[in-house]
Amino acid sequence: MYNALKLESIRRELPGVSMTLGLVVFLTAVLFFLVWQIGLAHGSVVFLIPVVIAATRWGIVSAVVAAICGVLASAFFFYPPLYSFRIRDPQEVLDLVLFIFVAVTVSQLATRLKRQLEMARQREIDLRDLYAFSRRLAVAFDVSDIHAAIEDHLATIMQRNVVLFASAREASKSSGRRAGVTVPERVLTEAVEIASGHRDTAGGVTVTAEGGEIWLVRAVSAKSLEFGVIAINLGHETKERIDELRIRVDAVLADATATLERLGVAHAISEARMRSQTDQLREALIGSVSHELRTPLASILGAATVLSAAPALRQEKKLTALVHDVRDEAERLNNDIQNLLDATRISSDGIKPHAEWADPADIINSAVERCRHRLADRRLEVDLPRDLPLIHVDPVLVQQALVQIFDNAVKYSAPSSLITVAARAQDGRLTISVTDQGAGLTSAEKSKIWDRFARGERHAATTSGSGLGLWIAHAFIAANDGKVSAVSEGPGLGTTVAIELQVTQAAVPQLESDADE
Amino acid sequence: MLMSEPSPIVLVIDDEIQIRRFLRTGFELNGFVVHEAGTGAEALRSATLRPIDLVIVDLGLPDMDGAEVVERIRSWSSVPIIVLSVRSSEAQKVHLLELGADDYVVKPFGMAELLARVRVALRRQMRAVSGEPTVKAGPLTIDLAARAVLLNDKRLTLTPKEYRLLQVLAQHAGNVVTHQHLLKEVWGSIHVHDTHYLRIFVRKLRQKIEPHPDSPKILVTELGVGYRLVQSGNEGDAGSWSDTAPAKTET
Repeated sequence: MYNALKLESIRRELPGVSMTLGLVVFLTAVLFFLVWQIGLAHGSVVFLIPVVIAATRWGIVSAVVAAICGVLASAFFFYPPLYSFRIRDPQEVLDLVLFIFVAVTVSQLATRLKRQLEMARQREIDLRDLYAFSRRLAVAFDVSDIHAAIEDHLATIMQRNVVLFASAREASKSSGRRAGVTVPERVLTEAVEIASGHRDTAGGVTVTAEGGEIWLVRAVSAKSLEFGVIAINLGHETKERIDELRIRVDAVLADATATLERLGVAHAISEARMRSQTDQLREALIGSVSHELRTPLASILGAATVLSAAPALRQEKKLTALVHDVRDEAERLNNDIQNLLDATRISSDGIKPHAEWADPADIINSAVERCRHRLADRRLEVDLPRDLPLIHVDPVLVQQALVQIFDNAVKYSAPSSLITVAARAQDGRLTISVTDQGAGLTSAEKSKIWDRFARGERHAATTSGSGLGLWIAHAFIAANDGKVSAVSEGPGLGTTVAIELQVTQAAVPQLESDADE
Repeated sequence: MLMSEPSPIVLVIDDEIQIRRFLRTGFELNGFVVHEAGTGAEALRSATLRPIDLVIVDLGLPDMDGAEVVERIRSWSSVPIIVLSVRSSEAQKVHLLELGADDYVVKPFGMAELLARVRVALRRQMRAVSGEPTVKAGPLTIDLAARAVLLNDKRLTLTPKEYRLLQVLAQHAGNVVTHQHLLKEVWGSIHVHDTHYLRIFVRKLRQKIEPHPDSPKILVTELGVGYRLVQSGNEGDAGSWSDTAPAKTET
């Protein structure tokens, strides 16, 4: 170990020393030439030049070598007796002392200067990173953005693998944001401990993992756990180097937390977390309540249909009517719950359409079929041209949107009035329109009908509903890259709701020939 | 009840006792014998111990997934299986049909709708056992043995692919057949995702076999899942809860 270190240091000094020797030899040759040609008496002071150069450039070892070689060279070549190392003049001893003094002083000054330069450069890099960090924080959109920014910042500055755990829960799931970094079990346990606030360790703790790597685990900020807990892989290092790195980590984190505090990030994080928890809670509540309501509803509906067909009840007209009421009301309740579920689905995780090639006629027919019961006392006209192009959409979503539009048409029109469904293909678009002869729309209503929970105020007293239907239709069609619009001549003059979907024009004839093969 | 044979036995698998109760009453009123099971394990035991003509299985069971029940029963028995599923899960329906379920009914459902599906499944099972070669769907007759298709007793000319499509549907008459299954049977397994082939051929086929191709009643679409050849006799009751319901406006 010691030998290895010595070898290492010799190797490091070698280039400087050899350059120095070269310099001395060159200078001696020049001096020798000058003494011989011009007859200079003493050239020994000139040997200060290699000493100073070596000291500033290559450090103390080279400088001392330069000093000794310089004195030896001048003793050999320039001081009598010539061509011998013997010394007669005490001046020469003084030269040696002077040379070595200059070598040591200059090289130390140079080293200090170099170190200061190095530190200034490092500081500049740190500041630049810190600036980039605060800029990134400024555009961070949510808590996970902020955490990712902290993590990236530390990883850049430390040049080490850094994993940030936003909370104890995240640490126990061992989900490091950074792909490819596996965090040892022991480090995870420690992170959980610190993140859950069970341990108060401002400076953090070091953990030696199975492979001998040393990890530093500590809270990002000593004051607040909101910023999370970081684990830094320090690698295989000596004790002194680890201490050095820890001091550096402290400095970097102090800068980072100062920035975070200045921007009020802690407050923002806790606020955002609370907001998203409230949202999640609400969605979960609606979801589970709806699900819990549907199960008994399935029993009610099923039992009602069994009753309505029971021979014992068939003779009893009034009782049969009652059973039908139970069934119809349960069906209506079921639709409302389905709407709530759809609304939760739209706002919680968005809709992921399963697009396939579909025949628009199939979609319209199946929507009509689904609404047959509700459309029973309206006159329905379906106008479908034979040559409708195929469309690439999620047919189920489009059908459900159409069902909502039918529902709305029925709700706001009189019994035995006409409802027309038509489909037209034009300019690369397919339009499905549903026209009723019902209540129509005022211009104020027109602007609001696609909003969530929008209800026509003129009809609020006489028609029931959650105001979700058209909002759901709009979301389902938008998920298929389509548009929904409503046109009305005015109150009492009926409404036309139109769905517009894209037709991939070029694809269709190509498909035709494909299928014929 | 059309059936003159001994009462068919149906095994109802659902963990909700209320659902089992109305299904039992509904089935018994229509001449079925009902066995019940509340868990998947109980159902599998019950299905191996006693002869059963039909299985109704709910997807949400406490001890195992309904799909697993379907798969395990199907591994040793060809008994018709009807699944009770929830809406918004077309992919799940397709998966269950591929596992071997014969059909599905979406919760909540009316007894009439379920009975229609049950009768179709039983009829298909009977045809499979007896080897009956003709399938009737409204004015359409498909003679699988003679490879002939008659519309109002007049022979139709179909292309080989059109006939193949109709043949696969007729073999499962009354039951829904998935897109993937049809594509594989007619065009081969490399085309299982080319739904547009199906759309175009179904359109051509409907022009030939449907009295009103614009509102098909024989070859009907199950959106996002597949197609169904609707057999004569149950066009009216499938898909609606009752035909005698009085018209009602929402107030």
